[in-house]
Amino acid sequence: MSPETKGRFAARLESRKQLSPSCHVLIFERPDSFSDARPGQFVSIRVSETAPPLLRRPYSIMDLTARSLSLLVKVVGRGSAALAALDKGDTVDLIGPLGGTEFPAPRNGNAFLVAGGTGLAPLVFAARTWRREGRSQEMCLLYGASTKDELLEGLIGEDFCECSFSTIDGSSGHHGDVVELCENLMEKGRMSGAMLYSCGPRAMVRALVERLGSRFPEHVTSLESVMACGVGACRGCTVPVRAGGKIVFKAVCSDGTVFKANDVAWEEWEG
Amino acid sequence: MTAAKGQGFAIGPASFRNRVFLASGPAGYGGEYAGLIGLDRLGAVVTKTITIEPRAGNPGRRLQETSAGLLNSIGLENVGAAVFFADKLPALIAAGARPIVSLGAEEWEPYCALLDATALRVEVDAVELNLSCPNVECGGMAVGKDPALVARYVRRAKDTLIGKAVLVKLTPNVSDVASLARAAEGAGADAVTAINTVVGMEFLDDLGAPVFRRVSAGLSGPAILPIALEAVWRIARSVAIPVVGVGGISSVEDARKFFAAGAAAVQVGTAIFYDPGLPERIVEALEAEGIPRTIGSDSFCEGGT
Repeated sequence: MSPETKGRFAARLESRKQLSPSCHVLIFERPDSFSDARPGQFVSIRVSETAPPLLRRPYSIMDLTARSLSLLVKVVGRGSAALAALDKGDTVDLIGPLGGTEFPAPRNGNAFLVAGGTGLAPLVFAARTWRREGRSQEMCLLYGASTKDELLEGLIGEDFCECSFSTIDGSSGHHGDVVELCENLMEKGRMSGAMLYSCGPRAMVRALVERLGSRFPEHVTSLESVMACGVGACRGCTVPVRAGGKIVFKAVCSDGTVFKANDVAWEEWEG
Repeated sequence: MTAAKGQGFAIGPASFRNRVFLASGPAGYGGEYAGLIGLDRLGAVVTKTITIEPRAGNPGRRLQETSAGLLNSIGLENVGAAVFFADKLPALIAAGARPIVSLGAEEWEPYCALLDATALRVEVDAVELNLSCPNVECGGMAVGKDPALVARYVRRAKDTLIGKAVLVKLTPNVSDVASLARAAEGAGADAVTAINTVVGMEFLDDLGAPVFRRVSAGLSGPAILPIALEAVWRIARSVAIPVVGVGGISSVEDARKFFAAGAAAVQVGTAIFYDPGLPERIVEALEAEGIPRTIGSDSFCEGGT
């Protein structure tokens, strides 16, 4: 992917739909000359020119078509709250597409996509992209949320051949976390030889690696970090990664967002 | 009233097409902003600080947004002089940018090695000595707080970098920033840049620990503009060499204030994270409306609060 494809746009909101108590889907008109993007890439949005927060907020691309750009926004603070209050026709200052790596398409065997919460967004984009490209691999989604209310089933559509759910409070699907769901499926022999794709809370991805890592040599994950520039300049969003017997710092924004999950030095990663 | 400032100007042997620079740090090596910032429109791009050897930067969290600013603890992560001069600098020049290379003051020996390596680079005619990074263990702010050390580091740079402009970036984390500026000037500096970040800290939400492993971090952004402005005012009235103003510029109006305070040029840093078009807008506004004159200080009683 060429980094020179990014640009800054005034993106107009086409529609906003609240899917759960905390989550909204925002569909923007695709700005003219917004480059094609790959699964795992993101945009950064300046919510307001006059009010906090200061920094842009990064959001994974959940879908990009000829006409629209979709993002999944969970209200967690000032920036996301302002985004979730936008109305149709409002514009935001948006930079993208950003990110220097992508989810590699599945090769042989099936693909298992493990999502936690809003980590669903880039995995939906991956599944839709690969489906549009005519890939025949089966894509199975394992998806965990805190409660039934926060399970965004409306986003799943027909992109996945099979979906399993978990909720922490047991109100829908498996009672527990999505990592246990993976372990259960594994014990049934369902996941051998599959590529694993993940995105979700850091604790979830770390648990996937530590509890299942040796059985999934091919596990790629889209990481999240607090960012400032979003383009690889400031070196603020770094993640420690093992390379050649030592730990190096990689920028989530430009060296990622997609990394080999088993390479991340999870125990070293703070903040 | 002082003389009107033109668009182009010079610092020592180096000339600049205008007075709006990108500040060291946020701008990276410049090329990262392709498609977002017209580097060829700016007076200069001050690169990320380089050191003679590569630096991995600080472990742990590196960023924390504050009410009107940004705390960082990057720790001078950089590719090292060899890769910088071989790869990063040529790309920046090819993009039409006019570079000022930021040189990190570490311990004396590696600092001298960096100066010696830089002296050989004919494509470099201006450097900014970073004597003021708060986020490293050795050198950095520890050097920049001591006027005698500032003078020693600057003199070595001037003796080595023949024919190149030497700017010296000062820390505000002292009781008298003007004394640092005078020390730099006395040692032959061609200009001073003020200010680097203001030291601060923040806690995690649960108050269980500071955000940063090194506890202290550097505050930038709109929150520090009045601090920077006062430093520029004070320095501009203490030295004869040009003062480059930096700290919290978030609008064209903010930039004008620095010229009124006595700056010869301005740098934009943190604002490019959220408004990468700002530096070019400042250039355009200054071209259209001229550079504000420095306000005379005769009638102001300074020192009181």
